[in-house]
Amino acid sequence: MTARNAQAWANPPRVPPSHFVSGWVYRDPAIYDAEQAKIFRRVWRFAAHESEMPEAGAYRTFVHACEPMMVVRETGDRFAGFIDRAGPAGARLLPGPAGQCRSTRGLRPCRTAAKWGFVFVTLDPEAPDLDSYLGDALDIFRDVFEGREFSYEVFHFHQAIVEANWKAWQETILDLYHEFMHVVLRRTQMPATAMTARSLRQHRNGHVSIGGLRALYGNYQAYRVRSEGEALPGLTPDDARFTPLFPDTTIIARGTVLRVDTVTPLGPHRTLVESRGLGIKGESPADRRMRIRHHNDYWGPLGRNVPEDAYAAEACERAFGRGAALFQTIARDEDGRGQDDCGLRAFYAEWSRRLGRPACAPTNADAISRGEQEGKP
Amino acid sequence: MTEQNVRELVYRSCLALDREDFDGFLALCDPALHYVVTAYSPEIRKEMTWMEQDLAGMKALLAMVPQHLRRTGSLHRHVSVYQVEAPASDGTIGALSSFLVTHTALDGGSRLFAVGHYHDRIAATGGRHLLKTRRAHLETRDLGIGLHIPI
Repeated sequence: MTARNAQAWANPPRVPPSHFVSGWVYRDPAIYDAEQAKIFRRVWRFAAHESEMPEAGAYRTFVHACEPMMVVRETGDRFAGFIDRAGPAGARLLPGPAGQCRSTRGLRPCRTAAKWGFVFVTLDPEAPDLDSYLGDALDIFRDVFEGREFSYEVFHFHQAIVEANWKAWQETILDLYHEFMHVVLRRTQMPATAMTARSLRQHRNGHVSIGGLRALYGNYQAYRVRSEGEALPGLTPDDARFTPLFPDTTIIARGTVLRVDTVTPLGPHRTLVESRGLGIKGESPADRRMRIRHHNDYWGPLGRNVPEDAYAAEACERAFGRGAALFQTIARDEDGRGQDDCGLRAFYAEWSRRLGRPACAPTNADAISRGEQEGKP
Repeated sequence: MTEQNVRELVYRSCLALDREDFDGFLALCDPALHYVVTAYSPEIRKEMTWMEQDLAGMKALLAMVPQHLRRTGSLHRHVSVYQVEAPASDGTIGALSSFLVTHTALDGGSRLFAVGHYHDRIAATGGRHLLKTRRAHLETRDLGIGLHIPI
């Protein structure tokens, strides 16, 4: 092994520029502001599922690009999004996260569109339409959503403030290598199929889809085996697939149940994570109970997996957030299979394109001195 | 079964969980244990179940806790038993308690972690007083990085 001195530790990894990320992306306030302006104000963002607004006038609030936002069901399948501030003082009108909206008069509208019951908004009047933005990234879920005589319904919602940069959370989704961290995945997912059976696809606009995963749920002693009859249409009970949509939303299926996550940056070192669980609207109480259980096993706040993801994001923050870690390497090349980092590279390629600066060297500090981490201009 | 028996069982169950004495906690549970954690979401306007276990499930879950990467530090449950009901026809007694859970980090800082109520039913089984059902209803819905053990 070659001995390293302090300078050597500060040098960028010897991999192509697309294969590593500077630590500044996690902590620079100027980068955070640029992300708000050049990413979040320009993209389509998942706002809420249609089932959260069951009747005309029902609304859901959320925060997007630092703006208090709301979506409301107008009539039938028509939804409209607004910035929830009005009057000379710009005060928020809506008192809670959900309810019945009497009027949207005076609120600034934003473009709104829905796909498969997922309602999206964008603050950018020039953004491409939603279908163009999503492209074929959600094709992996076509069997689950299209041509069904039923609709889906959100049965679970929780949120958590994670003390980490928002990208650290997205990386827990995109980085398949991190499955080694989860005892549940080591036992249920990793032995279920060959690594070569997995498929990681990069899509336009930084979206990624991941399929070919399976899980042997009986391998974890506190889980029950999932039966064929419990699976959602279009899925097998051991199926696992997911689509991280750039930059902030992920749709995940685990055979019998669906999850949708969004992240909202609250600052360079603070992130709001919102998590929804979905089942079939009108299903029997027994089926709903089963789906809730399966959701909670992995993804609930008292589940086995998601708390570990949050733990990991905060642990990375402790290293990157204060400059102790200088670079993140995303260099696993496995031909779009196994634990390939191509999803992370797609994310950071889009990030770099939108910000107009490479994620491997996003500040002058990177360019001027690889080793003088204190000397950021 | 006296009111004092009920109060003692509620407190002992919390002490066992605070100490992460899982065997001790399970020894206080009835074979017919039904344990749930619930919360109401104003976002989706629904009651939610965040955990549901029977005794076998709880045993399996707790046995796996040391294998998991999880929140460091310790939790402390501060519990007040508000109400102890008269015995039901099956001999069980219901109790309503309030809980505040604080988390103390490894660096010694403490902060409020969760607030809620326990809705318990206590059974007298084989001469012992055991927890037959517990519904831990959370008012707090942001548990930060989450939790691997029951509230």
